[in-house]
Amino acid sequence: MLLTDDSTVIFRVRGMLDFSCQLDISNEKRGQSAITRCFEGLRSKISSESLVFLVCNSPVLLWPNKGLQSTVEHLTEETPCRDIHQYITVEDGGSKKASKKKERKDASVVNLKLLMEVTEAGDGSAPSLCVLTRRQHCARMPVSVDCVLSANGFDPLQTVCRGLVGALRRQLLDMEDAVLRHRKGSSLLVPQAFHFPLPTPGNLITVVYPAGVAESQLLSEREVLHRKYGLPSDRPYFRRANAFHFPDEPYRDGYLRNPHAHLTPPSMEDSKLYLVRGIYSYHHYMQDRVDDNGWGCAYRSLQTICSWFQQQGYTERTVPTHTHIQQALVDVGDKESSFVGSRQWIGSIEVQAVLSHLLGITSKILFVSQGSELASKGRELANHFETTGTPVMIGGGVLAHTILGVAWSAVSGQIRFLILDPHYTGGEDLQTITDKGWCGWKGPEFWDQNAYYNLCLPQTPKTI
Amino acid sequence: MGRGYIVEESVEKHLANLSTVAGSCLSGLLVGHSSAQRDFVVLAVQTPRRESEGPPEGQRGSNPLDDTDVEWVSMHARQVTRMLPGGVGVLGVFLITPPELAKEAQSTLKRLVLAVDKYMSKTRLWDLSEDDVTDRVTLHICSKTRKAVCKTFDVKDPKCSAKPADWKYQSGISSSWPVVTCSVKLDLDIPVTDMSSENLEKCLKDGLKRWAKQIESGVCLINGRLALDDSELLSGPKKSTRGSQRHTFQIQILVSAEEPEPGQRSSARVQACSGSVCVRGTVHCRAYIHSNKPKARHAAQAIKRDILNTVSSRVEMLLEDLMNEGGPASGQQDLPRRVFAPLPGSGLSVCDYVFPDETPTDVAERLKEILEWDSSVEDIDMRVEGRILLTLGCRKVTQHCSDSL
Repeated sequence: MLLTDDSTVIFRVRGMLDFSCQLDISNEKRGQSAITRCFEGLRSKISSESLVFLVCNSPVLLWPNKGLQSTVEHLTEETPCRDIHQYITVEDGGSKKASKKKERKDASVVNLKLLMEVTEAGDGSAPSLCVLTRRQHCARMPVSVDCVLSANGFDPLQTVCRGLVGALRRQLLDMEDAVLRHRKGSSLLVPQAFHFPLPTPGNLITVVYPAGVAESQLLSEREVLHRKYGLPSDRPYFRRANAFHFPDEPYRDGYLRNPHAHLTPPSMEDSKLYLVRGIYSYHHYMQDRVDDNGWGCAYRSLQTICSWFQQQGYTERTVPTHTHIQQALVDVGDKESSFVGSRQWIGSIEVQAVLSHLLGITSKILFVSQGSELASKGRELANHFETTGTPVMIGGGVLAHTILGVAWSAVSGQIRFLILDPHYTGGEDLQTITDKGWCGWKGPEFWDQNAYYNLCLPQTPKTI
Repeated sequence: MGRGYIVEESVEKHLANLSTVAGSCLSGLLVGHSSAQRDFVVLAVQTPRRESEGPPEGQRGSNPLDDTDVEWVSMHARQVTRMLPGGVGVLGVFLITPPELAKEAQSTLKRLVLAVDKYMSKTRLWDLSEDDVTDRVTLHICSKTRKAVCKTFDVKDPKCSAKPADWKYQSGISSSWPVVTCSVKLDLDIPVTDMSSENLEKCLKDGLKRWAKQIESGVCLINGRLALDDSELLSGPKKSTRGSQRHTFQIQILVSAEEPEPGQRSSARVQACSGSVCVRGTVHCRAYIHSNKPKARHAAQAIKRDILNTVSSRVEMLLEDLMNEGGPASGQQDLPRRVFAPLPGSGLSVCDYVFPDETPTDVAERLKEILEWDSSVEDIDMRVEGRILLTLGCRKVTQHCSDSL
């Protein structure tokens, strides 16, 4: 989450532009200049008086290149940009009420839509039709522009609009770059913009990548970015999966993200919180129309872990199904082929094997002979979350769970475990999940004091 | 109960004056504005004589109704529609027959109404929406008794039977209809795969359809404000329809390029082309809406349809012209400009399209031929569009002969 002070407003403008250019197939250089000219045309459209920003969910329209003409009288060039909020009607979905409290610290996002005015006042030139005969390749693609600008709430509207126009022009330059760099003859790749959060709070970096190019092919571009922003080369920041997820955009796959963020952490004296880093999806019984009630808990914990690796950019592989998981175990020789389609349980060893085989991830296994010993593993778990930050799968007794963090006091040794329970069979209702403790803080008594436990601690590869 | 048609008094007079040769039939079009509750008819236009016609119908031995030239009526309907601003269209057909043919007239009327609708929907750049009225009116007048029978047919359902309708005369129907106007800048680049005439036409049509979708889904501002679809255009106490001013609303249209389909391509769509067609310039658009609590979406729809109609009409006209001269040539051609003329008695404007070499007299002639109306040359406003004419290489600025600024 972006942590900023209350007075920051993030403006995000998005729109579609039509890229259409004639490529002279016989001449390479002319093809390049045709593309450049086309992008120049798009840039001049952005700078023209016909550019309009529509403030989403409001009656406000702004003409940034016309001295900030607007459809609302009270909004002028000098109006502080935070005043825009008064005109926006917030959509009130039921589930939003629960999260409103926690997201107060996040900067508010004002969404704008980019439009071009096709009407004009006054006389224009008489209409004409021109027929050109020329053998060429016509390349056409929709270009989706997406720019963000972080502003102080008291900044005048004119400054914000000018800033957005500048950002749009720069993005079109970056897009022209990306298209030319990855061009093969008359095959042009669609440029796409991504916003990445940097460790410095409040900062979003926008990068343009060509569509359809695998992450492995873009390594050198990421290396340049890591150097430019002084970022360590041991974990990804600029893979497409690392793109910032705007708070007002729902996830389309339906899974809940980071339900733990809505909990109040336990207050213990002299204790610190050591939590999972980044974003994971909550996987549990009965999802995806698979009835795994009673046997699938470790599978679901494994899915949660896989979702973490995908969303942190370590893998492009989608979260494996029960069948994929079982097949992987057969493929590594750990199970007989009859295993696939069965309802057999798996444990942390199998979880380790699947993570290795499907995702190339190594894991450490931690063994405790008795559940009561888990209370003494505070330092080790705290260290894991601090340095590695991946979710931990724990299996023992007859149950598997996911540990998302610990609250631990180095002084007293007191510990609480943040548990994500895969045994939940209901729907994706955040309220129920947090109220009933399906995601919740548990004390050491949560574990079966006599059973032995294996913990699988996935490691992160040193890669970008 | 059926639909209600409110008809301008001048139409009653006009229909009364239409005389037929004994025993013959006369067809024509009914023009006006359609709204959800009722329709308004402002003009009745007789079908002009077709030059290739044989002996006058009354002298044939066979049934004159069978000779009704459905295709010719449809073509006339298209020409009439080209002369109408947005919001005003062909609402139906009338037929004047001798009393003995009154019964058969109904089936002829149905045939005409369905054929006209089919013909017109072929070249349109837009489709009828769910809230469009699909009932078309048919009026039968007995040449002897002058009794008029009004019915409607639903063109969406060709098998339907006629429904009764109400036909009432009133004066000054359209005098207070609000008018919406705008000027739209065109900047289209349409690739053409091969330069044969039919393919050029097809590519042009595809290109225009793509542009039409952008216009149709564009944001519409009315007098500089973004209005909710169902908000009322005319606020305040309702003034009496007589003698009140006609409200004018300025429209602005804001568009966005179309969203790519899901399952988006990761690379540009590349086509081998042998050329392209550019359409540039500014077109003036105008539409009328009824004055009974019109909503913002009515105005938006009417003006958007006029925008699409005016561009497709002009391109069609230019292509027709070029085909007659052996196909489109390379280089720039002027598209016909739009001119307006007031329709007497209603205060509405009708329009026409002029090529660069045509004069107001040509316009007056066409108005007489297609709309049956004697206009005076002074009434024709040629200055609405584009005083600046661009030609290849050099820039030419022309001002019109009637330079009464």
